[in-house]
Amino acid sequence: MSASAASRDNARPQVKRRALLRTYGTFLGFLLIVAAFAFLRPRAFLNPINLRNVLEQASILAIISFVMTILMATGKMDLSVGSLASLSGVVVATLLLKEMNLLLAIAASLALGMLAGALNGALVSYLGLSDFIITLATMTAFRGLSLWLTDGATIFGLPPAFLTIGQGTVGSIPVPIFIMLGVMILCWLLLDQTTLGRRWYAIGGNEEAAFLSGINVRRLRLSAFVLSGTGAALAGVVLTSRLASAHPLAGEPFMLSSFAAVFLGMTMFKEGQANIPGTFFGVLFMGVLNNGLNILQVNPYIQIVLTGSIIILSVLASRLVRTQR
Amino acid sequence: MESCPSSKVILRMQGITKDYPGVRAVNNVDFDVRRGEVHALVGENGAGKSTLIKILAGVILPDAGRIWLNGQELILRSAQDAFRAGLSFIHQELGLVPSLNGAENIFLGRPYPTKRLGLVDWSALYKQARELIAQLDTEVPLDVPVAQLSPAMRTMISIARALSIQASVVAMDEPTASLTDQEANHLFRVIRSLKQRGVSVIYVSHRLEEIFAISDRVTVMRDGQVVATCPTRDIDAAELIRLMVGRNLSKAYPPRRGMPGKPLLEVRNLNGSYLRGVSFTLHQGEVLGVAGLAGAGRTELLRLLFGADKPSGGSILLEGRPIKVPSPHAAFSMGIALVPEERHSQGLILTQSVAENITLAHLATFAKGGFLLNTKREAAVVRRLVQALHIKAANIRQPVSQLSGGNQQKVVFAKCLAKPPKILLLDEPTRGIDVGTKFEFYRIIRQLAEQGTGILLVSSELSELLGLSDRLLVLHEGRAVAMLKPSEIDQQTLLAYCYGRRPI
Repeated sequence: MSASAASRDNARPQVKRRALLRTYGTFLGFLLIVAAFAFLRPRAFLNPINLRNVLEQASILAIISFVMTILMATGKMDLSVGSLASLSGVVVATLLLKEMNLLLAIAASLALGMLAGALNGALVSYLGLSDFIITLATMTAFRGLSLWLTDGATIFGLPPAFLTIGQGTVGSIPVPIFIMLGVMILCWLLLDQTTLGRRWYAIGGNEEAAFLSGINVRRLRLSAFVLSGTGAALAGVVLTSRLASAHPLAGEPFMLSSFAAVFLGMTMFKEGQANIPGTFFGVLFMGVLNNGLNILQVNPYIQIVLTGSIIILSVLASRLVRTQR
Repeated sequence: MESCPSSKVILRMQGITKDYPGVRAVNNVDFDVRRGEVHALVGENGAGKSTLIKILAGVILPDAGRIWLNGQELILRSAQDAFRAGLSFIHQELGLVPSLNGAENIFLGRPYPTKRLGLVDWSALYKQARELIAQLDTEVPLDVPVAQLSPAMRTMISIARALSIQASVVAMDEPTASLTDQEANHLFRVIRSLKQRGVSVIYVSHRLEEIFAISDRVTVMRDGQVVATCPTRDIDAAELIRLMVGRNLSKAYPPRRGMPGKPLLEVRNLNGSYLRGVSFTLHQGEVLGVAGLAGAGRTELLRLLFGADKPSGGSILLEGRPIKVPSPHAAFSMGIALVPEERHSQGLILTQSVAENITLAHLATFAKGGFLLNTKREAAVVRRLVQALHIKAANIRQPVSQLSGGNQQKVVFAKCLAKPPKILLLDEPTRGIDVGTKFEFYRIIRQLAEQGTGILLVSSELSELLGLSDRLLVLHEGRAVAMLKPSEIDQQTLLAYCYGRRPI
């Protein structure tokens, strides 16, 4: 009896510690890597120009991750965002080389993203097919389209006006950061401040109950897919402008990284659920890690291994948060 | 250490307790079974019978209590433990693998007979299976998936399985629910032959005549506790019901005030799902009970009226005007609200807060331009409903998953009342809710009726239907077979109507 009482007393602080770790674990991890990089390479890492670069580099990932956050709030995912971003870059570049009006070319590219999202959404929410299979398939198809349009080659020679989107600055702040902030505010407003966001979360929480509460589950889910496609296309346009070229596979790495960012975000703020502030934090986490490892001159291939590991860790952490609540 | 007081007692459960948030499902229950006896376990829905059986099956772990089998203490941590101990369970949806055939199911979970090299000896398997089935004096095809067999045949497969493991105790949960009279009579013969072999049977049923026909002893449970155990011959049906219900009905249910008003909802010849030509009228301020067995079409009726399923024919008139209800969204905007059957899977978004759940069906009314949320207006309405329904929550932003079952169900009610409905459809509104809270719901339901709401109440609890309804619509196999006045009938008569029989 006394032995079991003693062990229970020991258990209590442990439980407390675990709860603390759950709530602040991701944040702690973030501080840890920042501290590590700051300690190892103080001058290169803490330099304000470097920190601005971190944000700038993260901005494209952020755009994709924010729209992905909305889709994941509805309980679905989109594997095609990366190859769709490539495709939209290829399309905008091709149109510009054919001397199409700049705004028209961008609009056409965004419209393509919208359509692609609508295709994913229609197949998933109206025909009830698996989001994983469908977006895996459209991912492959979009990739094929990009390769076919470019013959596998990179498109160069884009007009200078177009390059201001990805490379220009306002004051000393790069334009992509403004675009990222715009998308973030829009997505946050939609998800947190509107009836639409409430309903998206409701669908993600319990589709059947949402339907029986008078929510048009199919249409709203379709809308989230359309948003994710449009966001991916926008990211593709910014990416193409930033690189001053369109490569048929340029957007691919963003798919996995955006999942990592959203999953990391699910461990904080609205615990266990996709949310915009959390995703922003997740994007920063990924950005700082990338930047720091680059400064440390870690092999870029190893960085890919780390991205995978982070996804596993964050999914584990968010599961812990959800089950122990 | 105590040993079994009687050598005849084969299974003993002592001090069994199981808590769920807000409900003590089983409260300090003592229960024993003698060798070769049929021991009936009866009680209203939610009395704790199923929980007790599931504890014995190792599916639910009790919070307290001990179990002995043949004088040896049993620790049941999983269904496997119960199976190995020689406890067998027969339930219409439980235990068999639908895609496997009868012989495979009989030997499920145990090594199959094998030849050399460990290959399955199929002919021996089928031979043994056939012998077991033959002992039951029946014929069941053993080479087709059990999904294709009738419920009676599946029951026989389950019993053959129990025989094959030489089960000492077989628990049957509503085994006759989907059997014809003839099949049920055969089952009784099989049960008597089990008795002769010294097998004990725990028999859970709502059908009183069966209990008197087959059981040696009967235990009555109410609100999670055992209220009586006695030889069946020492008790009659009236006493049994009194023990099950345990209270004076007229006191338990709030009185009716006012008379039902004008016709509110007229349903004519409605077809769809299982329903065939259902017609009735619901009046303002009326509580219209819908009685029937599981599968009679009660939930289907509500879903059709709510737009969750589409009717294939017939017409619906709301306040005299013909309407079509294409979706739940349309239903809510016409003033028709539904409290669905399953609280967790259909009623609530468990990940969201109390407030978010309550306003979900009428979100646009809490938003500027129907889009930008006005959380202040939302909070005001939510607080009013939380107070009116006595919802116990730390605050309105608390996740609804942290509330007790009764409070969660109140949240589902509040969602339907966020904009007062003309018609409220209730599907098993008090299932799995403790007695105290049940009466709160009864009060709420009567209050809504007094305010003019027309209420369609589906419930499996006959006492609830009789106590709350102004009139009773009885469904049997998708048809409306009777419209009754609760004041003129008792539970047995109602039950007879539910079984499609018309008492003379």
